[in-house]
Amino acid sequence: MEAMGIIFSNIYDSKMGNLTWERTSGSIPFGGRYRQIDFVLSNMSNSGIRNIGIITKYNYQSLMDHLANCEDWDLHLGENVRFLPPYATGHTGAYRGKLEALQTALPVLERSDAEYVILSDTTVLCAIDFAEVVDAHVASGCDLTVVAKAGRADGRRTQTLALKVDDSGKVVDLAVDYCAPKDYLSGMSMFVIERKKLLNIIQELVPHGKCYFERDFVLPQYNEGKLSVNVYSFQNIALFNESLQEFYENNLKLLDQDVRHSLFRTNLPIYTKVRDSVPTLFGEHGQASDCLVADGCHIFGNANHSVIFREVDLDEDTQVESSVLMQGSKVGARSQLRYVILDKNVTVKPDTRLQGTPEHPLYISKGVTV
Amino acid sequence: MQFQKKRCVAMLLAGGQGSRLMVLTENTAKPAVPFGGKYRIIDFPLSNCVNSKIDTVGILTQYQPLELNEYIGNGQPWGLNSSHGGVQVLPPYAKSKNSEWYKGTANAIYQNIGFIQRYNPDNVLILSGDHIYKMDYAAMLKFHESMDSDCTIAVRDVPLKEASRFGIMNTREDGSIYEFEEKPKVPKSTNASMGIYIFKWSVLKEFLEADEADPTSENDFGKNIIPALLSSGHRLFAYQFDGYWKDVGTISSLWEANMDLLGKHPAFDIYGPEGHKIYARNATKPASYIAKSAELHESFVADGCEIYGMIEHSVISTGCTVGKGAEVIDSVIMPDVVIENGASIRNAIIAEGCVIRAGAKIGGDVENGERRISVIGKEKEISEGTVIEPGAIV
Repeated sequence: MEAMGIIFSNIYDSKMGNLTWERTSGSIPFGGRYRQIDFVLSNMSNSGIRNIGIITKYNYQSLMDHLANCEDWDLHLGENVRFLPPYATGHTGAYRGKLEALQTALPVLERSDAEYVILSDTTVLCAIDFAEVVDAHVASGCDLTVVAKAGRADGRRTQTLALKVDDSGKVVDLAVDYCAPKDYLSGMSMFVIERKKLLNIIQELVPHGKCYFERDFVLPQYNEGKLSVNVYSFQNIALFNESLQEFYENNLKLLDQDVRHSLFRTNLPIYTKVRDSVPTLFGEHGQASDCLVADGCHIFGNANHSVIFREVDLDEDTQVESSVLMQGSKVGARSQLRYVILDKNVTVKPDTRLQGTPEHPLYISKGVTV
Repeated sequence: MQFQKKRCVAMLLAGGQGSRLMVLTENTAKPAVPFGGKYRIIDFPLSNCVNSKIDTVGILTQYQPLELNEYIGNGQPWGLNSSHGGVQVLPPYAKSKNSEWYKGTANAIYQNIGFIQRYNPDNVLILSGDHIYKMDYAAMLKFHESMDSDCTIAVRDVPLKEASRFGIMNTREDGSIYEFEEKPKVPKSTNASMGIYIFKWSVLKEFLEADEADPTSENDFGKNIIPALLSSGHRLFAYQFDGYWKDVGTISSLWEANMDLLGKHPAFDIYGPEGHKIYARNATKPASYIAKSAELHESFVADGCEIYGMIEHSVISTGCTVGKGAEVIDSVIMPDVVIENGASIRNAIIAEGCVIRAGAKIGGDVENGERRISVIGKEKEISEGTVIEPGAIV
């Protein structure tokens, strides 16, 4: 079934702290060698989607650098991937919702001959076959399909979109920004909808001041009985990076073999920018234990229970514990790091001690020397 | 079709059967043999070309071209996917009158005169596909042009006692070559040819045609073309190269070159310098997982590995798994190898896709100063508890 894809690269920026100071949430580094957008873009590429629009609002330079001509994802910028920046500067200020953002995609949506549109954020990381989701959507006969995950709602954490289904899979309750109890599914911010229907919604709702997809469209229309909603219950691992804390925890979750094997599947590979780094060199006394280590590193010190991105150097006698070290970080000799996130290209001087807590990891901004 | 004139086109001789690499080249052309964790041998000359701003490369191959062809593809990983030039694999093909294999290195170029002529280059760079090194061909080309040389040959200084194993260039003070001796018993100098030549295309074309017309010729650059140029009074120059260079045509030299990557100050610094990156077709694999039970010393680990065992002074390539209690010492593990729990691998080369079952023992320690490398060929399965002797080729 012919479908096109729309990716929102800026959603949740405000919740991610300084991680999104100079980048979109789509270009947040993750898992040693990836950016968040790699997951959804690879999923779309692997699912045979050959018409993808990436909606950007601001700070998208790093995203464009990362994607370059999209060849590393088996796609071609300009041919089947398009950047959709805002029309004018009139939309600056606080970020407003996806519905409003979709206005910039109107020409692309109008020109396309795809029957369906897959809408996705970049913040929920998983390996998913969108072709299967579209098939399920068509089979359901519903207006909208929401991809959702059971087991995340716990009565404490706010779910952007929470759904309750009965035994037959029918949606019996739907709520937005809700501290949902355990028996609710959490929306993964991935939707399938008929292209013509989506066009109508944008053209009807946005001029009436409605700009949030979930709050201004899904919720009211479901409540009024105007929108039939189908839930595609995703069975594999999905990592929700909706806050800095979750980002930290989810990086460390990759140390679990089941999580890794669910996220990195040979039939649904996750592509990323090729950097041509050299393999990682372990020195005579370099030691990594329970670590994810990308290539291009020099490990002469010790790391435990950590995620080490590409081209990180650990000098002699360093002790790195429960930390996330992004690309190009350098840790000087004898330094000790516990519960720390180093953004890209951070330099830690020799004999430095940095310590956060498991609940509040210490975050060091990009390019800083400490 | 005729393109705009090029300053230099590179022709990479990748045709050798590589029989001295034995099982490693059973189903693989020598240039496609994996090296250094994530590379293949051919990545080195190809990346050197790109880093030297040479954008047109022909690869001459006739053994097992399928895998090489697949690996090179459209040349995108090396940035050689331009429509005006780029990289092309050139196997021998049937012509209307006769069809023949490449008879020798010179004949391989002769059969592709048509390819080179399309670019009408000033110069042609001849490269070999089984050397590991980083070299700026642009500097050599500059030297070649400044000397108004007809043929410039890259040479490196070798120890006098080893000189009789190489082709030796005897030169005058200005670097011009007056004599070439193939493996001389009593070498007069220590300038060993690296098998890297830059020819003026007009001169090379003329000599290739003459060589082809001579039925007694072996159609070889070293044996025929270079001596013919010398005896006819052409200008030949030696170009000194003093960086790392290794011919990896044998099991032991391939093993040594891999080991040269290890250590804080490695013999071959594959990282630097800036602008001399080695490009490769990258596998789509996540970062490597190093488990609590793992131990690593002086080793190279590429992406996509899961390491639970002990690795010492070894190269572990993309996508390998090393189980708990397994040990890998002084060895080269090529891509996608599975080494199960408790297996022991010492002084060995394990080719792509092998499965070494639990408790198997491959190779052994250096004995009486002699290191005997064990080799396991591509996609072999070594069953549980098997013992493979040092130096055995499977």
